[in-house]
Amino acid sequence: MVETFLAFIGRNLFLVFGLMAVGGALALVFSKNAVHSVVGFLFSMLSVAGCYLCMSAEFLAVAQLLVYAGGIVVLFLFVVMLVEMTKFKEKGLFQSQTPYALVAVAIGAAAIVGVFVSTWFTKSADVALTLDPGLARGLDVAKENSQAVSRGLFAGYLLPFEILSVILLVALVGAVTLAKKERV
Amino acid sequence: MSFAAGLWGTLVRDLPLIYPQLLILVAATVMLWPGDVFVPKGGKGQWAAVTVVVLAAAAFLVSRTPSGMGFSRMYQVDGITRGFQYLCLAAGIITVLLSQLQLNLHKDQSVEYYALILYSVTGMLFLVGASDLVSVYFSLELMALCIYILVAYFREQERSIEAGVKYFLLGAFSSGILLFGISLLFAATGGVTTNLADLNEKLALLPASSNLLVFLGILMVLVGFCFKVAAVPFHMWSPDAYDGAPTAITAFMSMAPKAASLAAFARVFGSGFGGLHAEWTAPLAFVAAASMILGNVAALRQQTMKRLLAYSSIAHVGYMLLGVLSSNVPGGVQAIWLYMLTYLLMQSGAFGIIIYLQGKGEGERIEDFRGLARTRPVLAFAMMVILLSLAGIPPLVGFFSKFYLFKLAIEQGHVTLTVIALLTSAVAAYYYLAVVAAMYFKEPAEGEVKPVSGITSLVVGMSCALVLAGTLFGAYLLDWAGTIL
Repeated sequence: MVETFLAFIGRNLFLVFGLMAVGGALALVFSKNAVHSVVGFLFSMLSVAGCYLCMSAEFLAVAQLLVYAGGIVVLFLFVVMLVEMTKFKEKGLFQSQTPYALVAVAIGAAAIVGVFVSTWFTKSADVALTLDPGLARGLDVAKENSQAVSRGLFAGYLLPFEILSVILLVALVGAVTLAKKERV
Repeated sequence: MSFAAGLWGTLVRDLPLIYPQLLILVAATVMLWPGDVFVPKGGKGQWAAVTVVVLAAAAFLVSRTPSGMGFSRMYQVDGITRGFQYLCLAAGIITVLLSQLQLNLHKDQSVEYYALILYSVTGMLFLVGASDLVSVYFSLELMALCIYILVAYFREQERSIEAGVKYFLLGAFSSGILLFGISLLFAATGGVTTNLADLNEKLALLPASSNLLVFLGILMVLVGFCFKVAAVPFHMWSPDAYDGAPTAITAFMSMAPKAASLAAFARVFGSGFGGLHAEWTAPLAFVAAASMILGNVAALRQQTMKRLLAYSSIAHVGYMLLGVLSSNVPGGVQAIWLYMLTYLLMQSGAFGIIIYLQGKGEGERIEDFRGLARTRPVLAFAMMVILLSLAGIPPLVGFFSKFYLFKLAIEQGHVTLTVIALLTSAVAAYYYLAVVAAMYFKEPAEGEVKPVSGITSLVVGMSCALVLAGTLFGAYLLDWAGTIL
């Protein structure tokens, strides 16, 4: 009994990690305490790293751990401690529109689950990391993971990658624009 | 080594395609640092002139860009790309000109304002040429992120901050939906490609069992785009964001991002999902009809000019979606381009007049237009021409651009939609004419007459003159658009 259960989990690790990520996200949204929210976020990000591992994208998994678990969560904790959260407490999560929204969300979620059940993901889930055959030349994508990522970034997806760098710059400029003390 | 050499070779080959974007990016970054160090406090308004020059130079570069596809087929330059790039650059220049009055009044000039406009325009230039869902998504984000910040630019005004936060949250949410849709399509086609042309081929070969997944993916991408162009029922953000934003940014939002997103909309659905035309026609037709009806009916009840134009722009997007619906992709895109061009002319003039009347931010109600014909006859005449053209009353240029769109829709067999479009145009004429009536048949309010600033009157004069000139050549406009695109 236990063995079959463990075997099932072993076969569906991606599913397990995915559900854990969703659970973490729900904890993030619904917990009243901001610190608990951050912990839920951390849990969710760790589970996503697990999902990456299941798809044998080791490099991405480690990067996810370093960036999110290492950097961003710490940053969030700082913000939570610096900003006084108590004054937002009385604002309820539920408003007059909540029932309608819940019904709409339930219908949408049912439709999406129905679609997933009826089409059940085909082969794409276990393809490790897809790379243009031209780019993958001379590369065992499943083993040489970081090389594959770098080829993706600097050859196949060079343009979006560079646009992304501009987006990050814009985020910085925007933060300065909105927060700078004086403007002339 | 050979791989790296190959990379360098393709980079050198592809770079000429994006020279305009590179120019703007480099200029904006240099403006922020070190450029701003050398400009004294109080003189930041000088950056406006630099921005206009950079945008005009980029427009020149666009005219010299060779046609072709590059960056692993992520970006494509063709007539459509160039045509919409001109529109976005023109909208950027108009925005910078219109900004001067309000920014000077608020003493809120800064280099970041202009840099953000430049970055946003870069995103648009990438977006109109994006031929891959990944590059579409990233350029869309670059364009939108800058606008979120610009909407909240007057941070000491609660309305501005509220508009920015609302727009940002809803925008981020809709981006999530768009991205989810893209990933579903990516998975459904076997997880190999996001390129639009490849996707179209793969989607045609899919077995019937994965139809639902594809449909869901396309529906989500549709929702994402409808949000970006503010089509009903995804328009909730737009009146608030239009209302709270600095008025020049409102003008910007109603022109440039709409043009760029509609171009990408037409390209993604025309060339990417063109093979599945039957699947997305019904939802998109519903969205178009709802936008026309709700946009025009809601505009009837507005008291402020900015909200009126916000709702009417929702309706105009509904008309332009007729072009996206067309299975004749080049014809649809030409009609959209022409409509967007005339819309840009009229909007820039209308917003110029609003900015003049608005001053520091109080007088933007429709009541403020009362008796304008008495106090400022020239301005009132310009506003009348622009409003009549927006309403699509013949023989003004707005009529011709509507006519081409509706003709195309009828040729494609969307008769019901066209009838709805015609009926709602009549509704639109009512609220536009109400403003004209207020200008000509009501007594002006007491108070001194404000002087007209030079730049604003330049924009208004240009816009009115071009609308009148376009009226003369109305019958040849579509052929002319055909030579450009």
